[in-house]
Amino acid sequence: MAEFTLDCLGEACPVPLMKTQKKMESMAVGDVLIVSIDHSCAMKNVPEWARNQGYNVEIEEVDDGEWELIIEKTK
Amino acid sequence: MQEFFIKLGKAETYQKLFKEPLTYVAGAMLLAVLNIAHFAVLNGGWGVTSPFVSWGAWVVKLFGVDVSGWNYFSESARKTLANGFLMDGGSIRNVGIIFGALLATLYASQFKIKKIKSGRQVVAAILGGLMMGYGARMASGCNIGALFTGTASLSFSGWIFALCLLIGAYFGSKLLAKYFM
Repeated sequence: MAEFTLDCLGEACPVPLMKTQKKMESMAVGDVLIVSIDHSCAMKNVPEWARNQGYNVEIEEVDDGEWELIIEKTK
Repeated sequence: MQEFFIKLGKAETYQKLFKEPLTYVAGAMLLAVLNIAHFAVLNGGWGVTSPFVSWGAWVVKLFGVDVSGWNYFSESARKTLANGFLMDGGSIRNVGIIFGALLATLYASQFKIKKIKSGRQVVAAILGGLMMGYGARMASGCNIGALFTGTASLSFSGWIFALCLLIGAYFGSKLLAKYFM
């Protein structure tokens, strides 16, 4: 049940998605990844991908135009 | 006052209209309606990059360079150059797109000046911008003028553009993975 963070602030599509996919691959089932993003289209495509994989996703708006995606690797 | 805005920010209507991204279908419908309106008002399909050439021509004119005699410019393009910025509907439309995008992000209270992550990002952005700009002018359009308006007006060239776009995107994403991952 380890927790990881991924800083994607200042990165535009599709880099946040690619980085998230790569990071999730290296994690074990039950681990949680917190992705920081400030690109609104990544706020759509990263959760979309993660939910399609069947992972649990939570989105938190931490500041104006800044979000944290909390993704749990469920399988 | 602050309380009012906090309450407003939590209202469902506000969230739906200003904060959450539109669905693909809603976006497509809006684009279709706007393209029809564009056609009615400006007598042509929607494009973006054509006025950039005029902007460039007007900028170099400030420094005393006149490019309006270049073969690149058609008769109507020369007319646009001569009439100036305020008489060019395409230029006004482009400013409107930028201004509208700013308004939308302010309405959603998502405006943020993003930090630059690395020098590599700067180089890639400038190189990419130059290549896209040059490419769009050589192809007589970008993914709006050549692809969106092209396919919508049943032009075969729009589909050729789409095919080339996919090939470019394939190699572009390979480069992205190589240099930015």
